[in-house]
Amino acid sequence: MYIYDKFDHTITRERVAEFSQQVARRLTGELSEDQFRPLRLMNGLYLQLHAYMLRVAIPYGTLSSKQVRKLADIAKKYDRDYGHFTTRQNIQYNWIKLEQVPEILAELASVEMHANQTSGNCIRNVTADQFAGVAGDELEDPRIISEIIRQWSTFHPEFSFLPRKFKFAVTGAAKDRAAIQFHDIGIQVVKNDAGETGYAVYVGGGMGRTPVVAPLIKPFVARTELLSYLEACLRVYNLHGRRDNMYKARIKILVRDLGPAEYARQVEEMWPLTRAAGVDIEPAEEARIRAFFAPPPYEKIAEPVASFVDARAKTRAFAQWVQTNVHTHKVAGYGAVTISLKPIGGIPGDASSAQMHAIADLADTYSLGEVRVTHVQNLVLPNVKQADLFAVWQRLGEIGFAEANIGLVTDIIACPGLDYCSLANARSIPVAQQLSERFADLDRQHIIGPLQIKISGCINACGHHHAGHIGILGVDKAGQEFYQITLGGAGDETASIGTLLGPGFAGEDIVGAVDKVVNTYLELRQAPSETFIEAYRRVGATPFKESLYGRR
Amino acid sequence: MAVVDRNGPIADKWTRLADDAPVPRAASVIVSFARLKNEHNSLFSTAAGVGVEIAGDVNLKELEPFLPRLGVIVVRFATMRDGRVFSIGRLLREQYRYSADMRAVGDFIPDQALFLLRCGFTSFEVAENFPLASFKQSLAAYSTWYQRATDRATTVRDLRRENAPSGSKS
Amino acid sequence: MAQAKSQNKILTGNRLRNGETVYYTAAGVWSPYVAEAKVATTPEEADALAKIGAAAYAANLVIDVNVIDVTPGGAANPAHIREVIRATGPTVRADLNKPVTPPQR
Repeated sequence: MYIYDKFDHTITRERVAEFSQQVARRLTGELSEDQFRPLRLMNGLYLQLHAYMLRVAIPYGTLSSKQVRKLADIAKKYDRDYGHFTTRQNIQYNWIKLEQVPEILAELASVEMHANQTSGNCIRNVTADQFAGVAGDELEDPRIISEIIRQWSTFHPEFSFLPRKFKFAVTGAAKDRAAIQFHDIGIQVVKNDAGETGYAVYVGGGMGRTPVVAPLIKPFVARTELLSYLEACLRVYNLHGRRDNMYKARIKILVRDLGPAEYARQVEEMWPLTRAAGVDIEPAEEARIRAFFAPPPYEKIAEPVASFVDARAKTRAFAQWVQTNVHTHKVAGYGAVTISLKPIGGIPGDASSAQMHAIADLADTYSLGEVRVTHVQNLVLPNVKQADLFAVWQRLGEIGFAEANIGLVTDIIACPGLDYCSLANARSIPVAQQLSERFADLDRQHIIGPLQIKISGCINACGHHHAGHIGILGVDKAGQEFYQITLGGAGDETASIGTLLGPGFAGEDIVGAVDKVVNTYLELRQAPSETFIEAYRRVGATPFKESLYGRR
Repeated sequence: MAVVDRNGPIADKWTRLADDAPVPRAASVIVSFARLKNEHNSLFSTAAGVGVEIAGDVNLKELEPFLPRLGVIVVRFATMRDGRVFSIGRLLREQYRYSADMRAVGDFIPDQALFLLRCGFTSFEVAENFPLASFKQSLAAYSTWYQRATDRATTVRDLRRENAPSGSKS
Repeated sequence: MAQAKSQNKILTGNRLRNGETVYYTAAGVWSPYVAEAKVATTPEEADALAKIGAAAYAANLVIDVNVIDVTPGGAANPAHIREVIRATGPTVRADLNKPVTPPQR
């Protein structure tokens, strides 16, 4: 993984000093709250219902065991002993004191971490495929260009006060595990006809109030020209994006209003200028960053691995876990383990400091010291030898994170909702917990098959409900929490936006309604191999509407 | 109102001219863009210096013919979140090759000044109670940057190139 | 279910320096415990609370200052679920919940 050089350290340290000084000026009153808010947001510091919340960036979802331990220690020392992993590969602390933030930032800087631009109307944390570097289907490790974008976008003098927030996601594979078409800019590593590697650029996707699947704006940009192209994309947006209405300020609205072709034309017109500005990366620097993502020293292991085959045969629960939680590794004899942060009845994405320490230890012992964060709020041990999988599974069981449910109905995304968030209209976590209890039976989960439930507590859609096979949106109806159901969303390479089924359900009825939807699917699927989303795309919303609301 | 540049307060020869005020001889005046468009002949022949104030919605192509004769361009922040100002600065410098004074005015805070300098601004019109100490402190916050901008300040990539072991330069 | 109508209001905010959720009390201080909040029963009293809140915001003591509705049950019973959760903590972490009155010493 990328390792800071002295210049990265210098900038990070200077940022800690700058923000510490800004906090001091706020506490003395030199800065008003109106002036300080954009500054603190650009440092990931929100005011939520109970306290300040600090959002720490985990660039492209990659962590070292040392960093995981630091995150755990911060949770224990400055928060209430836990953290929450988010859909944008960040970690959030919920009980932070403003006066301690400078200290926390200094602790983070000591392990090459920061909270830069994790909120505010600027370029946010770049997210990527959690299986970057280990997936057999990728053309190139997406973290290379992600790190290049991270550096370019950090304290960008021109793009720190955009009309609205701006999110990048990168995939190195045709199979999209980073939901790139739901981002302001989605980047896919591609090869052109000449066999050269470059990037396809999608612009103007997003969730929120107006969900949009991003159109392809540029099919191919050469490796060393991407930054100037992105700078042109951003400049057109910065100049012409709407600033009069925050709900229409995202780039998706500009691209929609101009039309993708006209937007692309304006970017092309701007591109020579940004290219002349010298922002593009030199081949030597590209190679320097690339070298950090070279494959680690894998052992040569012949498959099948006998002990692994035996363990699967002997222990059914382990075999089930392997089936859902272990992803094929590009190197024979290895697997990539997804650690489910979705224990039955648990809070999606939450981990205590003790759990984080245990995971850091597992990473050191079994995964070459590396951990990943997924946009589904789980963690990954990317490099586990098949012979070690049984031991890893046992240890994960001891800390409550061995649920064999990845990709299944209880692997639920939920935003913090009204339990924590000052923007929320309804609670998300209790709905996730009740659904998880309802579908707890693992055999039934396997019968149901791949099914993603995603829950947001407000229209901002941090819980990605638009992209859920079953999406749940919490709304406030005359002071009461209500939940709307959407069906048919998907966040992968077949990206689609869910369709609202009908009127919402009260908190006590939503779980039963989802159960009905699932049962309807089980009744109408043509074969056990036809997944929920396939069946929905075949039959449409009508049978589900009828089961929930009766025939009209 | 006071005017500062990166080194602190500076003497300001410019005065604002209301749209209906007569053009004084031998004075340097800042006028609205509307007036500049309507009266550029008399303005440039009468005043000692001419500057213009523009806002984020400006069409720079319309401004282009006047650029060589302008002594200052004042760009106004509608609110401190009006990030268009930064792009306008870069375009004026990098596309239109404007080279005289470029000044930010409006509701910005000291912490934004550093980015304005990076985008080609050279001075700031500020309230009398502008916190100069914080301004100077914030200008000194960073010794280097990740990306090249209008100011051509030394970037991390420049430093890495200089630092690279000899023979590995490309 | 319909909320009982009430004119009763309290003043709340979060402390600037640590973010803690607090309530303005009859004693003229900010308390973390909602039951200690001073209850305004008339529009005039509510206006007075709003002015106190604005002054405390201007003095950089509290942020996110709001006058909120409480039910006839009293200060310890905010009308909206959002404010109930603010007063007592996340409903999904009973271990982190806060009482509405100060713990007995």
